Amino acid sequence: MQLWNRYFLASSVDETLELLLQYDGQARIIAGGTDLLIEMREGHRPPQPVLVDITAIPALTTIEQDNDQIILGACVTHARITHSTALQKRATCLVESCGVVGGPQVRNVGTIGGNVAHALPAGDGTTSLVALDAEAEVVIDGERHWRPILELFQGPGVSLLDSTRDLLVRFRFQAHQPHEGSAFDRIMRPQGVALPILGCAVWVRLNADNSHYEAARICIAPVGPTPRRITAVENMLAGCPATEDTLEAAVALAQEVIKPRTSKYRATAPYRSEMVAVLLRRALPAAVERAKTTMPVTSQ
Amino acid sequence: MTSQDVNIGRNIRRMGAVEKVTGEALYPGDIDLKNQLWMKIRFSDRAHARITAIDTRQAEAHPGVVAVFTAADVPVNEYGLLIPDQPVLCGPGSSKPGADIVRCISDQVAVVVAETEQAAAAAVYLIDITYEDLPVVTDVFAAMADSAPQLHAEVENNIQTHYRIRHGDIEQGWAQADVIVEGEYITGHQEHAYLQPEAGLSYLDDEGRVTVVVAGQWVHEDQEQVAHALGLEHDQVRVIYPNIGGAFGGREDMSVQIVLGLAAKKLQRPVKIIWSREESIIGHHKRHPITIHARWGATRDGKLVAAEAEVFGDAGAYAYTTPKVMGNAHLMVCGPYEIPNAKVDTYGVYTNNVPSGAFRGFGGPQAAFAAECQMNKLAEALGMDPVELRLRNVLRDDSVMVVGTPLPPGVTLDRVLAEGAVESGFWQRSGDRWQRVPPNPAPDSTRRRGTGVAMGFKNIGFSFGYQENSWAEIELHGQAQIERVVVRQAGADVGQGAHTAFQQMAAEAVGVPVEKVEVVSHDTAFTGNSGSASASRMTFMAGNAIRGAAEAALEKWTQEDRPAIGTYTYLAPKTSPFDPETGQATPNFAYGYVAQFVEVEVDVETGQVEVLRVSSAHDVGKAINPRLIEGQVEGGVVQALGYAVMENLVTRDGMILNPYLSTYLIPTVWDIPHEVQSIILEYADPRGPWGARGMAEMPYIPLAPAIASALHDATGVWFDRVPLTPETIVMKLREHGIGVI
Ligand SMILES: Cc1cc2nc3c(=O)[nH]c(=O)nc-3n(C[C@H](O)[C@H](O)[C@H](O)COP(=O)(O)OP(=O)(O)OC[C@H]3O[C@@H](n4cnc5c(N)ncnc54)[C@H](O)[C@@H]3O)c2cc1C
Repeated sequence: MQLWNRYFLASSVDETLELLLQYDGQARIIAGGTDLLIEMREGHRPPQPVLVDITAIPALTTIEQDNDQIILGACVTHARITHSTALQKRATCLVESCGVVGGPQVRNVGTIGGNVAHALPAGDGTTSLVALDAEAEVVIDGERHWRPILELFQGPGVSLLDSTRDLLVRFRFQAHQPHEGSAFDRIMRPQGVALPILGCAVWVRLNADNSHYEAARICIAPVGPTPRRITAVENMLAGCPATEDTLEAAVALAQEVIKPRTSKYRATAPYRSEMVAVLLRRALPAAVERAKTTMPVTSQ
Repeated sequence: MTSQDVNIGRNIRRMGAVEKVTGEALYPGDIDLKNQLWMKIRFSDRAHARITAIDTRQAEAHPGVVAVFTAADVPVNEYGLLIPDQPVLCGPGSSKPGADIVRCISDQVAVVVAETEQAAAAAVYLIDITYEDLPVVTDVFAAMADSAPQLHAEVENNIQTHYRIRHGDIEQGWAQADVIVEGEYITGHQEHAYLQPEAGLSYLDDEGRVTVVVAGQWVHEDQEQVAHALGLEHDQVRVIYPNIGGAFGGREDMSVQIVLGLAAKKLQRPVKIIWSREESIIGHHKRHPITIHARWGATRDGKLVAAEAEVFGDAGAYAYTTPKVMGNAHLMVCGPYEIPNAKVDTYGVYTNNVPSGAFRGFGGPQAAFAAECQMNKLAEALGMDPVELRLRNVLRDDSVMVVGTPLPPGVTLDRVLAEGAVESGFWQRSGDRWQRVPPNPAPDSTRRRGTGVAMGFKNIGFSFGYQENSWAEIELHGQAQIERVVVRQAGADVGQGAHTAFQQMAAEAVGVPVEKVEVVSHDTAFTGNSGSASASRMTFMAGNAIRGAAEAALEKWTQEDRPAIGTYTYLAPKTSPFDPETGQATPNFAYGYVAQFVEVEVDVETGQVEVLRVSSAHDVGKAINPRLIEGQVEGGVVQALGYAVMENLVTRDGMILNPYLSTYLIPTVWDIPHEVQSIILEYADPRGPWGARGMAEMPYIPLAPAIASALHDATGVWFDRVPLTPETIVMKLREHGIGVI
């Protein structure tokens, strides 16, 4: 079956934008293609007259650390994220989540930008970027600017970006500092041919003697049409001692505020609700333990 | 010259291995013919409806479309392996009454033939079908109710099959029982998920025969089905298999064969089709979901005295092989044990689900799930080791089965179990006492480990009164010496390596090295009927046929015939069907025996199960090619692992909600056991060629109950339902207070 007529390998952001403009809605961005090609093959999206491949654009494929800030190109693959030593220390949850996406073949070509642009309620990389409070640099209607990542998600599979006109360029977020740590875990068979039954990313900052939570960010997905933070639990944790009792209180509150849905073939709501507790009990203590050993960022 | 063990018992590299690995081997979808057209099939959009009209005008007008065929175009609009109860195409104007009704979403309504695949694909949705909905019934028990819609005119209460066993005196059995265990066992659909989705071509060959090139399991049966539906004589139809990308029973029934032949004949041009994975999952049958109520009793010293079972199989919308599959389940639901008093009722019931049919094990795995779980529960109730309990009850040469007859001579269930248990390292024995070796501790407190056991038996070959047969021809070339041997045997190499075994057996029978033997197969034009690659029968049946043909050819050779040609049809010992009242029968002429030992790890918080190690012990009679046997053991274990813990076909009102391999999960390399040990035992079957028994279904049969047994060992909880998805495990564990903090 023929899925496209013309295929461009763009070499710069400008060239990409020009092509999109020129084809006026007929051209679509393709990164790794691991979502897009399947959607087209399965008939959920019509064949595309023109595809613009952005994976050879240098500016989109770099991982940079600028003091305490990390900048990640949209076309960085899951495999590169997984193997980055900088990210392993400074964005641990992201490394853990990208490390379980699909299988090796999918991780070798699938990109973090594609994961976010697809706007599924439970993209694994997305879940972690939300917990890291990332911002996305986007070009929308020709305007280039930074947006909080959560603003990109409009509904299941619906992004603020129109990938026939707009471009997701890169992400930025704070690297873990001393007393900060993160963790990701998910419920899924190890093979990962598909999205998880439930994923959970946690970021925490502890106080100076590591006894109390100063701040926390938690994303559990899928629990709604779009990725979102569990702010009730985050707020509860702030100021509380980092103890078993606090963990259990957080779990109880999470189970109360999160109302997962039953999906046709993945899992029922009661199972997901049970797994909210399991994941939080695993990820939150892991993030806390890591926060205690995070070293200062030295200029490299 | 005696060449015993020169050609057999050796790990000869399988024929075509290099071509398959390098991608050179051609499967049906890889073949293209000059001037070929493309076909697309319109499946039913409804699970049960009457088609009142089909408007094909828009599709016919679509650019590139050459023809659209509907029910009215099919000369004899029916097919079916055992009962021709399914229309080739459903719709009005058919030659067969009742063919205007679709009974499931696998039903085919129309085909579009076009110059390109795209044109066919686009036009197939332009066919306008008017349905008049009929009530849908998808639950077996609802379908048996008097008020249920009747799917087939002559089949009351939709009961397609009903068998009985009345053996001994069941009331007396219960009176003798000190311990009784009961369970309701539920097993789900399973998709074959062979690597190669259905595909094929049809054309008229130079003798004008309607030639169909597909992947199947029995060229002569395909020929018969195509000829019947097209109203042709057998010799006007030719069936050829190139390489076959897996079958597992899923290619026994028709998929693309008849419609391809129909189009090629009408249009006098080659026609090709390739199904997508989604079409494959919707378009062919599945393993029977079966519900079993079982109640077994034993004396305190561990002798089985009574077994009662009711077995309900969901046949789906058409018969396919349901009568035989349910016959197997019926025979095997009491396990390979001597039980003096038994009462069994088995039903195969029509519903509007996708049809159920042949799938590795053929009713055996579902029955074994019930029987082996019952044995493990009895062992617990009696405080007896499960291996020990089995050894007290397994059928032996002089025992009588619940159908009133003994197994054929050469019964080795006791040895398979005992030797397997020791060799696996999972059990230890001292004298008559058996004991589990405790598993290694799990790496953390949320995970628990346990070991389990189950065993099984399965018939080799077609049975229940069918005169099982297989044809072979051997041609010896040369002058003073035999320089070249051609063996003709139609038996399908579906990926299991049958042709390599044929080559080895022919070489052995003639007394030449394998390099001199050439196998000609997979073409009705050059071969006689060798039967299906199913029921673990290919080595046993083809081997006996090849031996006979070799003997005849060697005889001719000594008479100076050049080439010397010997032809032989092997007829297996006779069998008989179940007596309608008592179930008395000599159901089969040969069996394979298996015992399995497994170690699993379960995360009690998430319900994820990992099968760590499997030891699978088999009496194969004689290992013609040990490595091919290991391939079957490992493949069978992995397929059964998918069945037991992962594969979950979700249906609603007859629709399949997950017809993709991204949502219907099958095992990948990360899901399979860390170790599968093949324990190959060779106790000759006196009827088998060189003593060989069949073995390809055996490794599948006991795995699910062995896993359930190991899960019980790990958690103390019994699981009576497969697939054991994380969700079902968590819910059950929580009922028992496990995994909650
Ligand atoms: C077998 C398999 C297993 C998978 N398992 C997982 C899993 O475990 N977890 C998980 O989260 N996902 C999984 N996925 C989904 C997928 O691999 C990921 O979401 C991946 O990150 C998508 O990235 P991509 O580069 O392939 O995106 P593409 O398919 O190239 O693009 C996806 C969409 O985003 C648009 N797009 C891509 N990049 C940009 C950009 N820079 N700007 C604007 N629009 C853009 C495209 O137009 C398209 O609409 C799996 C997929 C497969 C095939």
